[in-house]
Amino acid sequence: MKYLYVLFAFLILPWSTQAQDYKQEREKMVSEQIARRGIKHVQTLDAMRKVERHLFVPPGNTRMAYADSPLAIGYGQTISQPYIVAYMTQIIEPKSTHKILEIGTGSGYQAAVLAEIVDKVYTIEIVPELGETATDRLRKLGYDNVEVIKADGYNGLEEHAPFDAIVVTAASEHIPPSLIQQLKEGGKMIIPVGSPFLVQTLMLVEKKKGKLSTSSLMPVRFVPFTRSRE
Amino acid sequence: MNNAGNRRIYLSLGLLSASLIAFQLALMQLISAVQWNHFAYMVISIALLGFGASGTLLALSRKWFERHADFALCSLMLLTGVSMSGIILFSSALFGKFDTYLIFVDFSNVKYLFLSYLSFFIPFFFGALAIGLIYIRYVSRIGTMYFADLLGSGLGGIFLLGLLWVLYPVQLPAAVAVLPIVAGILIIPKAWFGRLIIPSLLLLFLPLYLVIFPSELPVSEFKSISKALNMPGSEVYMERKSPYGHIQVMACPSLRYAPGLSLSFKEEIPVGDVLYVNGNWFGPLAGRTEHDESHFLDYTTHNLPYVISESGSVLILDGGTGLYAGHALWNRASKVTYVEENKKVLGLLGNDLAFQIDSLFSDPRLSAIGLHSRSFLLADTSRYDLIVLPPIESFGGSSGINALEEQYILTLDAMSDIWDHLSDKGMIEITSWMDYPVRNPLKILATLVETLEQKGYMEIDQHLIAIRSWGTISFVLKKTPFTPDEVSSVRDFCELMYFDPVLLPGITAAERSVYNHLEDSSFFSSVDHIVSPERDSFYKNYDFNIRPATDSKPYFSQFLKLDRLSKLHNLFGQGAVPFLEIGYFITLLTFVQISLFAFFLIILPLFFTRWKGKGKVYTLLHFSGIGIGFMFVEIIFIQQFILYFGNPVSAASAVLSGMLISSGVGSLVSSRFKKSNRNITGILFLVILFIVFYAFMLTPALRTSINLPFFLKILFSILLISPLAFFMGMPFPIGLKYLDGQNNTLIPWAWGINGCFSVISTVLASIIAVEAGFFWVMLLAGLAYGFALMANIFR
Repeated sequence: MKYLYVLFAFLILPWSTQAQDYKQEREKMVSEQIARRGIKHVQTLDAMRKVERHLFVPPGNTRMAYADSPLAIGYGQTISQPYIVAYMTQIIEPKSTHKILEIGTGSGYQAAVLAEIVDKVYTIEIVPELGETATDRLRKLGYDNVEVIKADGYNGLEEHAPFDAIVVTAASEHIPPSLIQQLKEGGKMIIPVGSPFLVQTLMLVEKKKGKLSTSSLMPVRFVPFTRSRE
Repeated sequence: MNNAGNRRIYLSLGLLSASLIAFQLALMQLISAVQWNHFAYMVISIALLGFGASGTLLALSRKWFERHADFALCSLMLLTGVSMSGIILFSSALFGKFDTYLIFVDFSNVKYLFLSYLSFFIPFFFGALAIGLIYIRYVSRIGTMYFADLLGSGLGGIFLLGLLWVLYPVQLPAAVAVLPIVAGILIIPKAWFGRLIIPSLLLLFLPLYLVIFPSELPVSEFKSISKALNMPGSEVYMERKSPYGHIQVMACPSLRYAPGLSLSFKEEIPVGDVLYVNGNWFGPLAGRTEHDESHFLDYTTHNLPYVISESGSVLILDGGTGLYAGHALWNRASKVTYVEENKKVLGLLGNDLAFQIDSLFSDPRLSAIGLHSRSFLLADTSRYDLIVLPPIESFGGSSGINALEEQYILTLDAMSDIWDHLSDKGMIEITSWMDYPVRNPLKILATLVETLEQKGYMEIDQHLIAIRSWGTISFVLKKTPFTPDEVSSVRDFCELMYFDPVLLPGITAAERSVYNHLEDSSFFSSVDHIVSPERDSFYKNYDFNIRPATDSKPYFSQFLKLDRLSKLHNLFGQGAVPFLEIGYFITLLTFVQISLFAFFLIILPLFFTRWKGKGKVYTLLHFSGIGIGFMFVEIIFIQQFILYFGNPVSAASAVLSGMLISSGVGSLVSSRFKKSNRNITGILFLVILFIVFYAFMLTPALRTSINLPFFLKILFSILLISPLAFFMGMPFPIGLKYLDGQNNTLIPWAWGINGCFSVISTVLASIIAVEAGFFWVMLLAGLAYGFALMANIFR
């Protein structure tokens, strides 16, 4: 019997070591790539520590999961660089009572990070295959407060509107009017503008007293373009 | 060799040369269609070093090749054809594994990039080896041989142009591969004929099979067409092949086109079909908008000129699929002239796609012109109330991807031409996406401001308005000062649309950032500097090149200042610069790679022969000088004739064929010269005189004759090109003949040097044009021939 225990230990040891490694990589990712670059929102940092990013990337790319870069997930889509996910999460100031709409589920990683903080996340994916994979993945990981809808996100989700925040992860050349209408008074919408592997600018849309305004936040590549003041 | 044998070797050489030129152009089409065209440029430039490498191998194994020349020549030609066909099979596996788009983020892609260099290098290497061997073997008849080579090359370009009408990009390399196989069959040695003829004929089935049953080349998943095809219900329902590109029309139920739309727009954006050229977005197929509906462009900054005044006659430059022409008609323009260079697209919009655009072209107020916009302006004499330029940059910025694209419609000279086409109260409108660090909007502003000053208008703020949305900025330049009513209309429009004015008579600082806030507000002070008389010092101090482009340096999208590289590195972080200015960066990277490879290929034979010895300095100077000089002149001619003909395809084929054939004739005539030093120095001197003369006179000569009918333009261009090209065809065969008399072991080395420098000079010409302008490229061509002249004087 004791031999069986030894065998079992040998089988389980590399697995748990690997899980430990990923945990360490996540800690390193949060401290070196995210906190060091100015992300201070505690819930965001906690969520980034918790969500197992390596489970959201294609199997061949798991060794790169915690690298400081976006990764291709197929169908011309990407899982964003960790810093961008954290930045987009912090900027909408998510609260535990919030209901959030995400357009462009992709791998489901951004939805999972949000789901660690807020009450409910609705996420819409237009590529059916990506939507299917993300649904399975999020269900297996126990994210019951995330609902993946496989559809065209252009018209948002009228039946669950208004939303406290809307996160558009797939860049669009215009901001769909229906999304603006589905944003709650005082709500925030964040959208990346640009190419996932070159330069992106993050754009924030805010609705205050019925009026809309935008802010070009900052261009990002792998590292923020923090232009020093001359 | 008897006469029939002679004829066969000439024909064979001509076919091989034709195939190599055609293959190069075919690869450019193919790789651009499935991947990024800038990587196509890099991969093909490096593959062309096969010419230099062939010289190196011939120099190292000359004796072996001479002993087996007949068999080697035939085999090399067959191998060229087989490798040209094989490349397609190999590429489908290669491009399935990597994507050049990912090269900067996933270094595992780099090994595949080198594999692609190597695979595309092989056909050029075999082909060039065969040509080099012919030159060694038949050096006594080099003039005639070189004639066959150049004539073949000239016709090869025309051959591919014809193929583009009937074949898709994936079929082109295989179709071209037939030529070298036929060339090999023509010169099968008698001793081997019985054994080789059947297998060689069977080899023809490989390219023919690949033409009839083309293999699928995976298109990069990051190309805009791939992304659209991933959306449910998308399908390509029409395809057309032409020298204007592979045109695909797609129905995409999820694609709604409304770039930079105002946040105040509350209606539904209609779904429309989309047109792609070579897998890249070309434009939406938008129908007419009825007058009881609203046009989405009315809710963009692009609507600014229609807010300022009623539209009369409107000119739309680089009009794409006609969206902006439709908008002008909707705004009740009395007459719309719409200019688009892609004639195939124009033909489709007027016929097969007329339904998709609600027969826009049948509107009697619209005239569609199939010409390069700048050529149209040079030839047209009408006046317009509004001239609309094409939108600048793509959404989110293109990171300088178009840096090396000549944009003759965005130069200071072009803006001056546009101004001259305005009616008394005419306006110019141009829109750009906002980028960061800000480059495009500032360069447009600089171009507009300098145009105003050139035309004698010093009160710039009275003639220039700019407004900004969350993503775009539009400028309107007006010949007469804006009236208070017009200024008031612009303010109301901004208020209604959540836009902010940037330049407006009487503007306050607070007005500039009411709805759309910028993280870096230095944009506004940059705008003020450009409008002020101190703009020149601002140009110098700004970290990017925002000085207006000119016809001599028509690279509007080139913003990188080489002397600021280290500063940009410090400001924006490690490795950021390639991402900001990737187009020029790739050119520089290509130049470095080619130079290193070429240096290695040139010096390698010297390790095996001797470093010192008669004729080496001469060989290096003469053959590098004429290699650089020839290519520089060819590139300048192509650039100049693009504007002249209004179409890059016609320009490239007219210039390439005219130059190569005239040089071939020059080479043929040179075969009658005796081996006299006086001949070559005289010829080189003449070439230099011609080049200097053309550096000053070519542009004015082309400008004065631009209104000639097409046939006369062709005749005039041949008259212009031929004399110089005729003499430029002589120094290469005369040089080889000289080496034959002195030290014929240097012939293969000379062939390699000429090949290496020809490739280096194509990339170098782009860099010099960006940094100093075309005028200097032409003068440096003269200088390169000057080095060859010195080598001959002191040989």
